[in-house]
Amino acid sequence: MRRTGVAAGAVSAVLCLAAAGAASGTEDPGKAAAPRMEFVPPPPGSYKLQKIQPVSDAVLLDSTGYTVSLSALTQGKITLLTFFYTYCIDPLGCPFAHTTLANLRDRVAGDRALAGRVRFVSVSLDPTHDTPAAIASYGQEFTADSKFEWRFVTARRVPELLPMLDDFGQDVSVDLDQNGRATRTLHHMLKMFLIDTHGEVREIYTLAFLQPQVMFNDIKTLALETG
Amino acid sequence: MRINHRMILSLGVAAIMSVAAIGSYADETCNSPYMSGLIKGQEDFVHVWTLGVPGLGDGSDKLVTIDANPASKTYGKVIHKISVGGRGEAHHMGFTDDRKYLWAGGLDDSKIYVFDVGTSPSHPKLVKTIGDLSAKTGYAGPHTYYALPGRMLIGNLSNVADKGGVTGMAVYNNKGDFVAKYDMPTSAIKQIKGDGYGYDIGVNPAKNALLTSSFTGWNNYMRDLGEVVKDPEAMKHFGSTMVMWNLKTMEPEQILAVPGAPLEIRWALPEGQNWAITAAALTSQLWLVKRDARGIWEAKDVAAIGDPAKIPLPVDISITADAKGLWVNTFMDGTTHYFDLTDPEHPRQTYAKHTGSQVNMVSQSWDGRRVYLTSSLLSKWDKTGKENEQFLRAFHWDGHELNLAFEVDFTKEQLGRPHHMKFTANPQRVASLAGVSVH
Repeated sequence: MRRTGVAAGAVSAVLCLAAAGAASGTEDPGKAAAPRMEFVPPPPGSYKLQKIQPVSDAVLLDSTGYTVSLSALTQGKITLLTFFYTYCIDPLGCPFAHTTLANLRDRVAGDRALAGRVRFVSVSLDPTHDTPAAIASYGQEFTADSKFEWRFVTARRVPELLPMLDDFGQDVSVDLDQNGRATRTLHHMLKMFLIDTHGEVREIYTLAFLQPQVMFNDIKTLALETG
Repeated sequence: MRINHRMILSLGVAAIMSVAAIGSYADETCNSPYMSGLIKGQEDFVHVWTLGVPGLGDGSDKLVTIDANPASKTYGKVIHKISVGGRGEAHHMGFTDDRKYLWAGGLDDSKIYVFDVGTSPSHPKLVKTIGDLSAKTGYAGPHTYYALPGRMLIGNLSNVADKGGVTGMAVYNNKGDFVAKYDMPTSAIKQIKGDGYGYDIGVNPAKNALLTSSFTGWNNYMRDLGEVVKDPEAMKHFGSTMVMWNLKTMEPEQILAVPGAPLEIRWALPEGQNWAITAAALTSQLWLVKRDARGIWEAKDVAAIGDPAKIPLPVDISITADAKGLWVNTFMDGTTHYFDLTDPEHPRQTYAKHTGSQVNMVSQSWDGRRVYLTSSLLSKWDKTGKENEQFLRAFHWDGHELNLAFEVDFTKEQLGRPHHMKFTANPQRVASLAGVSVH
């Protein structure tokens, strides 16, 4: 994983201040933690996932530098899409998301009924620094299994990414330094989008919902819809 | 981001955000645990969804913004208001999951207004009006707006067919498009029959549990309260159940008998806790909903609120961040109560104060040091004459006494009847991705 010292320092500063702020309250809400799952998830196919919204198309760059339409990455297979940036170091941010996805990939790969029917897509939030070469390097450890389609993509420029972020409702903000200049610390609410073969968002997972067994059952549920 | 005297848990700093997403044990106040950006320190603004009153100001429902930061020159003053151009019985509000937008609805006209409070919290803007709830669902009276990831789950009170209390929940995506509807159960589950009524929504993500409560339909809540209580037939039409749903499947799994119109729901979300609490309005009882060793949810009344014989009418509740304390407002006697919830099976009232001739909503800051009250219940249920005080009152709470910090007289200010409150804070040294180039 590539990290920059600037970003690491900035995030550390944020975390330290956060801790100080928490201590000023009468009650601290507790340490950040991975999602809890204190229930048996309903079996695949025993429920219907809502049709939340269609995905609008966009033009992106793949890790080899070629343009690729978003629709080519969100249709034809069941897709899990998330946003990241390569130098994100937040333990419950992008690294957690990708670790969760890697575990899920292994589970999907072990299910013959899902063979070739599932893909993951990771979209960079920072086209300025996350060049095709950068995302290729970052994605190496996740894309080693050539039988499983896991695509890392970026955009040519921020303005070309913004409509996609708006469509997904993926808010992103940037820390400013004391002079009002943007730093390399990005804030985004961790979200993963489960998209069916027709390009319709069927589930959205924020941190509290990143429960691999539930996510696996959701993928199976979509697979059962199409037989 | 710079955090000084206040602290906003900023979007997507997941280590911090997870506090909001998972560890948000409770109020700041009564927000969905999926919502990001909890304000853990000093709130800057209180937004008040306000019912219009004919002949008072423009007579329209409006979102009123009050400066709540003591360091500000306009502390305690109305700094912004935005009318929606009519009266639809303004009632409750709820933030979207990213806390950028505030959805606010009308119990009478079933319209839903979406305000942008993220761009400039001191100056909210009306960006969308959703008018198809009844056409899409048959429901009426949108009440609770509960953020789910990318969606809003809306608990309703009534229906358009007979304007009674049988209703359901609607799901809209964050763009304002209808997604799905779920009827409240009217048949029996394990020998307990559903009444089909709805009111509040509360989710416990770790347990995949969605709990709903029940009130009454348009025929009652838009009728003079004095007439309703004298009408035995009308009094039969109040909710007497709560429903435990499977959040993933959106199927009702258990119906709990909770007579007397159980209203607001607050989950205790700390790890190891397995309960939620509510107040039944007509019987003036606190009810505990708790899962037993077999995994079965049970409801039991655990404490009286005031003297139930006098029908004090508990309305809103607000649980502390550690789930060890609960504020309860009783409307009829204008009293704010504090209960020690250390043992949720045996809540103990440890404090009470007369805070107005009528009090309804209660919201506390995350740190529990500030408590805000508003006065209005419903336009047809508020008191009349001199007792019809309409205010927002902000108090400091030192653990022993509520001390008035400021108040806004909504009648004198020509605003209307103040109802639901939500807090926002100014973003601290952050910019949108659209507005900067990352160096």
